[in-house]
Amino acid sequence: MIKKIFGNKKSSAQVSSNMATKQVRYEALVKGLHADLYRYAYWLCHEKQVAEDLVQETFLRAWRALDSLKDEKAAKSWLITILRRENARRFERKRFEMSEYEEATITDTQSLSSEQDIENHWLREKINSLPEEYREPLVLQVIGGFSGEEIANLLSLNKNTVMTRLFRARNQLKEALEKEPEARSTYNG
Amino acid sequence: MDDLQFRRSIYADPHSKDEKLEQAKAEDPKKKKFAQDIEQLDLKILEALKVPVPEDLSNKLILRQTLNSHQQQTKKKRVHLALAASVAFAFGLTINMMNFSSAYNNIGDYAFAHVAHEADHFSNTGEANVTLASLNKKMASFNGSFDTTMGELMFADYCRFDGMKSLHLVFKGTNNPVNVFVIPQSEHLEFNSDFSNNDLQGKTQRFKDANIIIVGDKSEQLKTWQQNIKQNVSWSI
Repeated sequence: MIKKIFGNKKSSAQVSSNMATKQVRYEALVKGLHADLYRYAYWLCHEKQVAEDLVQETFLRAWRALDSLKDEKAAKSWLITILRRENARRFERKRFEMSEYEEATITDTQSLSSEQDIENHWLREKINSLPEEYREPLVLQVIGGFSGEEIANLLSLNKNTVMTRLFRARNQLKEALEKEPEARSTYNG
Repeated sequence: MDDLQFRRSIYADPHSKDEKLEQAKAEDPKKKKFAQDIEQLDLKILEALKVPVPEDLSNKLILRQTLNSHQQQTKKKRVHLALAASVAFAFGLTINMMNFSSAYNNIGDYAFAHVAHEADHFSNTGEANVTLASLNKKMASFNGSFDTTMGELMFADYCRFDGMKSLHLVFKGTNNPVNVFVIPQSEHLEFNSDFSNNDLQGKTQRFKDANIIIVGDKSEQLKTWQQNIKQNVSWSI
């Protein structure tokens, strides 16, 4: 009887080897996906520090629930789901602190050295001024590499809605780019 | 596929491998050009979306997790320790209860058990050599004193009466010794004034600070003993 109770216990070597496997899995997830996740978070909240906090919180939760992740291929959408939930929670917590952010604070403070940087910077502002509901599917598609169907699942929307939003997002950016020469000159001036 | 439909599909997903789209691109150079433009646009969007990631982020994530799980493990160890302590405590408590809780419910049962247990030590032919002075010295802790030794007193000493300090007196009786217990007012033993079993009988009388129990064999006139005690014992305040 006593042997039965205590016999069930895994040997400590086994436990630590399980821990080691878990650690390896976790580190692989972090290395493989932290950049995408950070960028997604950034486009969700527009603030570097908040994005970093979100990613940290997400990976912490991921660690705790790591055993429930059976399919490594699903890891990215799994993490994104956690991060979206964390982001929503942030709004629940800090509703009273919410305010319209200044457009100027969105842009990063990196020095714009090359033509490419200037263009990126300009386009970032345009992406930022897209409605949230257009921007999120676009980020998921371009950065996350998700299909329309996967995005629909992640955002709990139907696929047609997602495709329409993607179309509008690119359409608006295209139009903005076509007006670019004037826009850019006012920007530089 | 009409132009509008084509444009919408390309805008929605420039990298789509949809066959109808591929076919439309192959058939119409304008459509092909449009698709290439949007692919170009998408490259720009990708570049723009790739905001710089803090360099040390992945290290931070790994470090924080390591610290965190270490903390959790320490906490777990503490929980285990607390559990073990609780179990040990409960175990100790149970043992204690079993050892020191009384197995007897009333005064009579315990008195009989006590007398039966010590029966071998006392015989009616023993020497009666306890003086009144030494008896009263002991009785003093019950705030009482005897006027006389009420007959031949063979033994007088403190005894544990089911865990309580009591004074145990053994007198020479008619055929067998008579046991008298002076015990404090008891809370956990039920008071019974008359009790008997096959061989023995007993009486209890309640006084101010103590109960006095008399146990003797069936031939003993306990009522007389009780009267005697009542008259001989005086209680101080």
